[in-house]
Amino acid sequence: MLLEVLQGTEAGGFILLQDTVSYSGRHLLKSYISTALKRLHFHNAYSDPLGWTGNSAFTVHQFTLEDVSTLIKQTPQAKAVTLVIDSLSWILRHHDPAAVCQRLQALKKGGAVRTVIVLVHTDMHQRGTVGSIRHLATSVVTVAPGTRGLGAVAKTTRRTKSGKLMQDEETFSINEDLSVTIHSKLSHPGHTHVNTDETEVDPTANLTFNLRLSDTERQAKEKLALPFVFSKEKKSALLQPGPGSGRILYEPDANDDYDQEDPDDDLDI
Amino acid sequence: MFAELNSILNSSPESFKQGEFILVSDRQTDASFLIHHFLSFYLRAGCKVCFLGLVQSFSHYSAVSQRLGVSLNQAREKGQLVFLEGLKESLGVLLQGDTSNGTPALDFLRDPSSGLRGLYDFVHGNIRGSEGRAEDWGPPVLMVDDLSVVLSLGVSVGAVLDFSHYCRATFCSELQGTMVILVRCEAEEEEEESDEGSERLQRGLTHQCSLTLQVQGLPTGYCRDIHGEVEVCWRGRCDGLQIQRKLFQYKVCDKGTLFFARGTSSAVL
Repeated sequence: MLLEVLQGTEAGGFILLQDTVSYSGRHLLKSYISTALKRLHFHNAYSDPLGWTGNSAFTVHQFTLEDVSTLIKQTPQAKAVTLVIDSLSWILRHHDPAAVCQRLQALKKGGAVRTVIVLVHTDMHQRGTVGSIRHLATSVVTVAPGTRGLGAVAKTTRRTKSGKLMQDEETFSINEDLSVTIHSKLSHPGHTHVNTDETEVDPTANLTFNLRLSDTERQAKEKLALPFVFSKEKKSALLQPGPGSGRILYEPDANDDYDQEDPDDDLDI
Repeated sequence: MFAELNSILNSSPESFKQGEFILVSDRQTDASFLIHHFLSFYLRAGCKVCFLGLVQSFSHYSAVSQRLGVSLNQAREKGQLVFLEGLKESLGVLLQGDTSNGTPALDFLRDPSSGLRGLYDFVHGNIRGSEGRAEDWGPPVLMVDDLSVVLSLGVSVGAVLDFSHYCRATFCSELQGTMVILVRCEAEEEEEESDEGSERLQRGLTHQCSLTLQVQGLPTGYCRDIHGEVEVCWRGRCDGLQIQRKLFQYKVCDKGTLFFARGTSSAVL
């Protein structure tokens, strides 16, 4: 499902790319740009976003409906525009999250842009902020480092127009030419540890002594009766006095009849 | 400069990657030995270094660099090293209380809410000011020791991240130089996402940087022969399947630092 989202088969959506410090989602964003977009107009809000050096093309305070629409109208052949924001976390630091959500929604509903894809660093904001951006999105891709260093894991959640929710989890890696290779689909997201059974090392291999059993040895081992295990045969052998076994003769002795309540044996009640 | 660290990072004073943002962070230990390494490394490489020393005096770095074979006094006289003595200048700002005296670099001491714009202007001016003799030195280098101390002086995490963003835009992207920043994290007991804190600052800077060196004490406690662990993480690339991360242990000696793979310390072998 990751490839479908990246190839932009979903027109008119809001794609949210979430990442953390452990794995940067920027590579995936670049992959999207190279595969899905035909023409890229780059607006530089990196060199001077706060106006400190005085020569800024686009400041963070210009992230409003009017200014962004003007910017889009300035580009030639501006129809079916996809707006790519790297990263929304920067804007969220300087603007109120509610205002950012409103502006993004207005941009989409107003028809200025058709598709929006943003990159958010989830560990830089509170859960509520990230949650409100998620609500706007139709597809959410969360990237995390893969287990055992094999590429990265992407959890994709897609919400279709009919309201159906589809989820998928895939291991992927990004090649030199920014194309994405999917390695495996994990059908049960929580059971990644099942894979480790396949690669368990046999401890009886590569030793200088032999720890394995042959078939005859295994049968002899199973037949062996352990000395203190109380099996049925042993029980019957003990209960029935066999020939030649010792017999015990007992005659009751007066000293053995010790009554706790009458130790001197002189009560006559 | 530590020869083993050079081979780990694949760099030497003759050839090193330009446009890098190196983040050195530590937790419950002292990573300033790495700052001494980078300072002597870039001075040997012939780069112009702008050093913001916010926690130690010039004589401290001078004494340690002497042992590593580099003379900071000479570098400062030649104009290769621009050193901002934060401790000395701050006295002027705090005691005199007059806005006309003292450099505007430490304006954040008077008014923490104004952010680090003054500091950025100072750095920007020093690098730009030597346009005429820019060919004498290699690509400019900015070093900060340490940036997290301004958090305890009342500057917000957002303002520090803005400062590092601007420095990165100037030093790494525009001038193709290098930035080395040290942040110190306190081990916070609460797991809640706190808006202001050195952890958030470290995460924000990690998102911006291209190479991080995280220094920590040994998880098992104090050891005389192994002073701690360093995790080196290359963030810029995503070579195929592997995410570039390496872990080493180190021991700080009188004239250098020994780096070795886990478990191969000379005390153990």
